[in-house]
Amino acid sequence: MNDLIELSKEMLTSGKVSVILGYTEDKITKRIKPVIIRKPEESEKLVFNHYAVNNLAVYLKNLKKLTKGKIGIVAKGCDIRAIIALIQENQIKREDVFIIGANCNSVVLNYDDKWTPESSQSKCRTCQLRLPNMYDALIGKLEDITFPPSDKLTFIQKLGTMTTEEKWDFWEEQFSKCIKCYACRQVCPLCYCEQCVAEKTMPAWIDSSATTRGNFAWNLIRAFHQSGRCIGCNECERACPMDIPLSLLNVKMGMIAGAKFNYQHGISTDAPTLVGNFNTDDKEDFIK
Amino acid sequence: MEQYILTGSNLKKLAENLLILESNKGEASWNLISVSEDGLQYQKVMEADKINLNSKAAPTKISFKEYFLPKSETLFYFKQNQNDVELSDSKLTDKKTVIFGAKPCDAASVPALEKVFNWDYHDDFFNTRVANTFIIGLACEYSDEYCFCNSVGLSQNAEKGSDIFLTRQNDDSFLAKIVTQKGNDFVAAFKVFFSRMNEFPESAGCMKSPEKESLAQSRKFDYQSIKKRLDKNFADGFWNTAGELCLGCAQCAFVCPTCHCFDIVDENCGLNCGRRAKNWDSCQFSIFTKHTSGHNPRDNQNKRYRQRIMHKFKYYNDKFEEILCTGCGRCSRGCEAGIDIAGILEEIEQLPE
Amino acid sequence: MEDKNWEPKVTAFVCNWCTYTGADLAGTSRMKQQSNARLIRVPCTGRIDPLFIIKAFEGGADAVLISGCHPGDCHYNSGNFHARRRWIFFKELLDFVGIDSKRLYFSWVSASEGKKWVDIVNGVIDSAKSEGPFLKYKNLTKEIELNNE
Repeated sequence: MNDLIELSKEMLTSGKVSVILGYTEDKITKRIKPVIIRKPEESEKLVFNHYAVNNLAVYLKNLKKLTKGKIGIVAKGCDIRAIIALIQENQIKREDVFIIGANCNSVVLNYDDKWTPESSQSKCRTCQLRLPNMYDALIGKLEDITFPPSDKLTFIQKLGTMTTEEKWDFWEEQFSKCIKCYACRQVCPLCYCEQCVAEKTMPAWIDSSATTRGNFAWNLIRAFHQSGRCIGCNECERACPMDIPLSLLNVKMGMIAGAKFNYQHGISTDAPTLVGNFNTDDKEDFIK
Repeated sequence: MEQYILTGSNLKKLAENLLILESNKGEASWNLISVSEDGLQYQKVMEADKINLNSKAAPTKISFKEYFLPKSETLFYFKQNQNDVELSDSKLTDKKTVIFGAKPCDAASVPALEKVFNWDYHDDFFNTRVANTFIIGLACEYSDEYCFCNSVGLSQNAEKGSDIFLTRQNDDSFLAKIVTQKGNDFVAAFKVFFSRMNEFPESAGCMKSPEKESLAQSRKFDYQSIKKRLDKNFADGFWNTAGELCLGCAQCAFVCPTCHCFDIVDENCGLNCGRRAKNWDSCQFSIFTKHTSGHNPRDNQNKRYRQRIMHKFKYYNDKFEEILCTGCGRCSRGCEAGIDIAGILEEIEQLPE
Repeated sequence: MEDKNWEPKVTAFVCNWCTYTGADLAGTSRMKQQSNARLIRVPCTGRIDPLFIIKAFEGGADAVLISGCHPGDCHYNSGNFHARRRWIFFKELLDFVGIDSKRLYFSWVSASEGKKWVDIVNGVIDSAKSEGPFLKYKNLTKEIELNNE
């Protein structure tokens, strides 16, 4: 971790950045958790390893409002996609952030899991961005790891073969567990609306009650608002206290964006957004 | 109060008996609740085999609060007729519930919540559910870095909130101690399943393994001294960064056994009918204190996080002489931002008095 | 428990300039069509939020039809292009969760296509009749009425 700590000390001392968003180890619980450091000596706290699961890009928009100067951020490939997506959508400027890209050797899903290639997240198993595609500095070293296949993609395929009724029954059971805590929304770096549609009253389009009806509306609309925008960090599913497989919805919509439009969000900072734009030749075989 | 022995096979027979009663549409009709097989939540069980009394398991991810304060509860229904609006009460259930194997950190939340739901108004919804529920607590044999029940006046053997308290004696039997009159009535109604003890060894208690005991005590702070500091340090700079990483996701409030804030909404059940509902809410949501004028007195996450700590460890204590926390650690285990409430409290203990 | 007299409820979101006018033409031309569709007029299909579709199902619709101007003919130039992109995603999403295309239809109907309108509406209603009432969604509302257990 020396390269990270040295870099952080240098950036903070020289004033190139005024804060650094990174990961640290809690002294008592030993959990690797987010941290904001402002002084060079605090750099000793920074770590990066298999347990650095959080997507820190979620803090950028609000932190930008409170911070003069650049924000340094320790980011994995998936997190950098979120940063690029925020730049694409004009929420932050490229010059507002100093990206400390991390060579990533995959992360675990649950905090108390021990890392092995088998316990790595599904997203890591098919990751093309272990060496991040955009960064201002690079830390860490890539290791050669063989991962098992992604169980998420297999499950999406399986869902695709179910009958309409089976699909409904599956999702009804999942959505009935939802408690409307909105953790999925709060951890998502791309859910940054100042007023979420779920908070709208008069009229209230989405029931705020945690009934299955309200849960269907909420989860479907969130998945729709993320179509073509989700960068696949899986934080929503990880944060869900009721273990609802949310990323199935978001990954599926990402697959549609890829299949129908050959598009992936969060790869290039000047790419136009997908649902915010249109093409006069968009293919539609279902419109009569 | 009295002690009995409850063997594993009698427990199963008791559960079967209650389930049979449930299927009769007679006067007694029971809900059986127990920790789910995967240990994540408290669930209704339909088979006696599914009663889970694993005292060595971690606390469930989410507490049993929904059986007293449902995540969405109907207050009344309304229907718009030609010339008027018809209101009808939602029917308060008279079904009885038994919760088998409640952890002490869950059971203790009920007496704490009873205070606020009977303060300026007697909340029938809450009170009816409490009155119709028998809590069979189970002495806990689990501890990790997030647990701190010892620091908030509880312990792994705390009987507070339980009607009957079970302590595992061996693989097949429990010591069952009657704690409340309700517990006494339950045992009297089902006494064929409870075996009498002729002598009760005073030293019977929870079997603790030495390493676990020391871990539980390593998270130790004095809630009285914390309260003294909270009384004085509202404006301390500590609060400027304590909650800065909080994402405002409300998981902590929703999994917590004692958080009880609610939101009242009207929603439709059709084109001209609907209901008024009481839903779980949390002070961590950004719009929790937003006024209709647009002004929000708690307009950043630091202020909202401060509110959480102050409410639980100072305001509730000032008003009801109860701490609004049972030390179960669920909020910290689930927190995405890694905010560890025991760690925050330990830091508060270091603030100037 | 099939009620022999059951008639499906179809909610149709139609754009003011093309489809609504086309439907009007069908009416003034006295073309025969089934009457189960309730039309909701919006200025443009670009106005349609997927929430409308969800609300329609919550409100008891057995099928939803959305119809607007042909691509290139939008009164506001590009509203229907935006809408089309949204529908591509939303349709896939609903299909993924078990609300399939037999309950959700999209069409382009211009102001002069009265006959097409009649054919589309009749087709949607017939399809809804053969699918039966959308009980799964209606039961979600029932669950709220029987909320206290």
